[in-house]
Amino acid sequence: MERKNLLAGVHLTEIPADKFKRCRITVNFMVKGVRDEATVLALLPMVMGRGFAACPDMTKLSMRLAQLYGASLATDSYTQGANRIVSFAISGIKDAYAPGGEQLTKEYLSLLCETIFRPDIKDDAFDAEAVEVEKNKLRELCESEINDKKIYCMKQARRRFFGDSPAGLERYGYPEEIAAITEKQLCEAWKKLLREAEVEIFVMGTDAVQVEDTLCAELKKIDRCPQETYSMSAAAPREPAYYTEGIDAVQGKVCMLFTAGEVIPVEELPVMRMTAALFGGVPTSRLFMNVREKQSLCYYCSAGYTQINGIMMVNSGVEFDKAEKLTAAVLKEWNCMKEEPVTQKEMDDTRRQLQCAMHAVNDSMSALDNWYSSEVSRGTLITPEEAARQLEQVTAEDVKACMQRFTLSLVYTLTKEGGDA
Amino acid sequence: MSTIPTALQQELQEQRFVLDSGLTVYVKEMPGYDSVYAVYGTRFGSTDRSFSVDGKRVDLPAGVAHYLEHKMFENEEGIDAFELYAETGAAANAYTSFDKTCYIFGASEQKEKSLDILLSFVSKPYFTKETIAKEQGIIGQEIKMYDDSPDWRMMFEAFHCLYHNCPVRDDIAGSVESIAGITPEMLYTCANAFYRPSNMVLSVAGGMTAQQVLDACKRAGLCEKRTGEPEVKRIVTEEPAGICKKESTLTMSVAQPIVGLAYKEKPFETVQERLVGEITCDILTELLIGDTSPLYRRLYDAGLINPGFSGEFLAGSGYLSFIFAGESREPETVVKALKEEIARLRSEGVDEDQFLAIKNVLLGEAVTNLESTEAVATDMSAAHMLGRTRQDEMEALLSLSAKDIEKALETMLQDERSAVVTILPPQK
Repeated sequence: MERKNLLAGVHLTEIPADKFKRCRITVNFMVKGVRDEATVLALLPMVMGRGFAACPDMTKLSMRLAQLYGASLATDSYTQGANRIVSFAISGIKDAYAPGGEQLTKEYLSLLCETIFRPDIKDDAFDAEAVEVEKNKLRELCESEINDKKIYCMKQARRRFFGDSPAGLERYGYPEEIAAITEKQLCEAWKKLLREAEVEIFVMGTDAVQVEDTLCAELKKIDRCPQETYSMSAAAPREPAYYTEGIDAVQGKVCMLFTAGEVIPVEELPVMRMTAALFGGVPTSRLFMNVREKQSLCYYCSAGYTQINGIMMVNSGVEFDKAEKLTAAVLKEWNCMKEEPVTQKEMDDTRRQLQCAMHAVNDSMSALDNWYSSEVSRGTLITPEEAARQLEQVTAEDVKACMQRFTLSLVYTLTKEGGDA
Repeated sequence: MSTIPTALQQELQEQRFVLDSGLTVYVKEMPGYDSVYAVYGTRFGSTDRSFSVDGKRVDLPAGVAHYLEHKMFENEEGIDAFELYAETGAAANAYTSFDKTCYIFGASEQKEKSLDILLSFVSKPYFTKETIAKEQGIIGQEIKMYDDSPDWRMMFEAFHCLYHNCPVRDDIAGSVESIAGITPEMLYTCANAFYRPSNMVLSVAGGMTAQQVLDACKRAGLCEKRTGEPEVKRIVTEEPAGICKKESTLTMSVAQPIVGLAYKEKPFETVQERLVGEITCDILTELLIGDTSPLYRRLYDAGLINPGFSGEFLAGSGYLSFIFAGESREPETVVKALKEEIARLRSEGVDEDQFLAIKNVLLGEAVTNLESTEAVATDMSAAHMLGRTRQDEMEALLSLSAKDIEKALETMLQDERSAVVTILPPQK
């Protein structure tokens, strides 16, 4: 495993993927999250994903990808902590498996480069019709978050917690700003992105040297001046805040945020992983065994930790009139873990489940991709095997101490219509 | 291109065994893979609601197969299978669909022990009134979670429009009311009838040899001949050819209307008919509203649909249907356009380039599935339950022509067997 510095602010990580039938190239452009740029940078990849200068027609591009045995060209925009990533990725089957013996991989790289570096721009503006269509799609994307109540509840909790801070910027931007975005403004945003972003390239299952040479040649044509991005930072702890929102639904939702007020350092990640898993990350966790199985309160009740913002989040779906009972049950489990070390059996069982999952990462292309993207974002390149070994050192006392670092900061409940926002 | 390329042929080869107990076992050893994925499935799903055991008729309320899936995880000592798996580290789960129930695990350590656990708990049902009552709350919440899913509601409302009696109308998990009537006797009857080795398949892919899998089967007593097994016959519910109602409208908390155009088709009757028919249906939906289709582009650019709009088909014993669905601010315009496009395809024929491109997509998907232990194990078991192999599926795909699609269109997607479901946001 190697992460190479190709140019200033440009790195390439090659992830071994010989045994897979597909290959994948990802190019991520990362910049500091800025409120005024959030909506434009959410729209940009949607417009760029429609086609490029040599193939501006969306349907023709879809046809070309289909002919390449369903190659996938994905353009996306998302937040990572306080930073924003505009991502371009192409994946498809390897040449050896092409039923017609075609040379596919060269074309994948070519399509990716055309999309990133030669979009459909004339007179410093993207095509007006394409921009207008995608503006509507972005607006609908923003509005449709209500369709999935679990995700909606999580987003609302996040909004209340982060407010207007950079870590709270919306992935899809702000609907009220969409209409005013111009084709020229989008073009400016694209140029600025190429000029100022930190670039992370991930290569899986294809010739990394060819990818390196091709992308370096493209990036050298640009007068680049990469800007620093935010490092990980956690929101400060605060008194618990409770929010309730009425919704027209059959089931209520509860999202609880626990904060440590600091980013758990990399060397303490093994303890954090064990703590979150013991609390609500595996089927033998406290939340699964006690809140779901013993009390039959819900179908799901899980906990997960996000290192980049220092938040441990609990999610559950529950009868409207049992939301308070569920919240109390979760807090009881949290308090128990803060006060009493978990049993050795719980430690052993959880460790085994995490280690088993980590060892399986090497057998899944998407799991490998996710693993090393996370590693690069935290500035490490630990293999799943090393991470599994690190779990051996974690003790029940470590878990108890880790749990004590967290405090409850926010509870967001979706309840029967008529509740207060 | 009408034969399977050599590299693919090798990947599609799998080992198959039929044990003395009647259990069929598939193993795909995948060099370079440490982890293993196992599927232990039975041909018993939510639509298996009426059957006879040794001549005695059994009729079940909705949701029994799914309830049984949940309850199989507990043994007589009150130990949950998840606790047993925790000792090996395996990630285990289970799911119930319309026509099957599958118990699964993925493991990278203690793989043989994990397989022993899988083969053991699924073979030893234990239910009491108390353990059944405990599950009511959990499954009740699972049902309500799905009730808030617009896609899920769309599918079942479409089935309500298309079908008069077919059990596919009912939610896989049943309703809070229907599961209230489930008894231990009912679950034992189903377990004895359908959890027999001869009705089941074990499929294992990844870093495990066939011998290791067969040894596990032996330890579980699955290599011994069974005697005195009950005679089980499935009773297919009578279903008229026509639909039940032309339209239905629901209100849910959604951002904009969601519209679905559904078609009732004549169910597949033979293994071969289903093998070719499923690929035909897959290609038809892509031709109509996939991202290579002219209609998709027109509606997309007109702001009438978004990337989530898609078509799918659902096939099983006694039913076959299409549903084209997604968000739209103008549901009626979209329905009209879809019907016009079906008529155009029928009169003008299928575009050969688009057909070949879609065929390539399906080939690419099949190749992609070969790299995942989960996909390989799942595909081997699913194909077996349909009386075919993955190789049969690949050969059928390669041999399909645009003419086959045009022929299918002569009878499929007929207006008189269509229904429209609309989900509207609540009026504020």
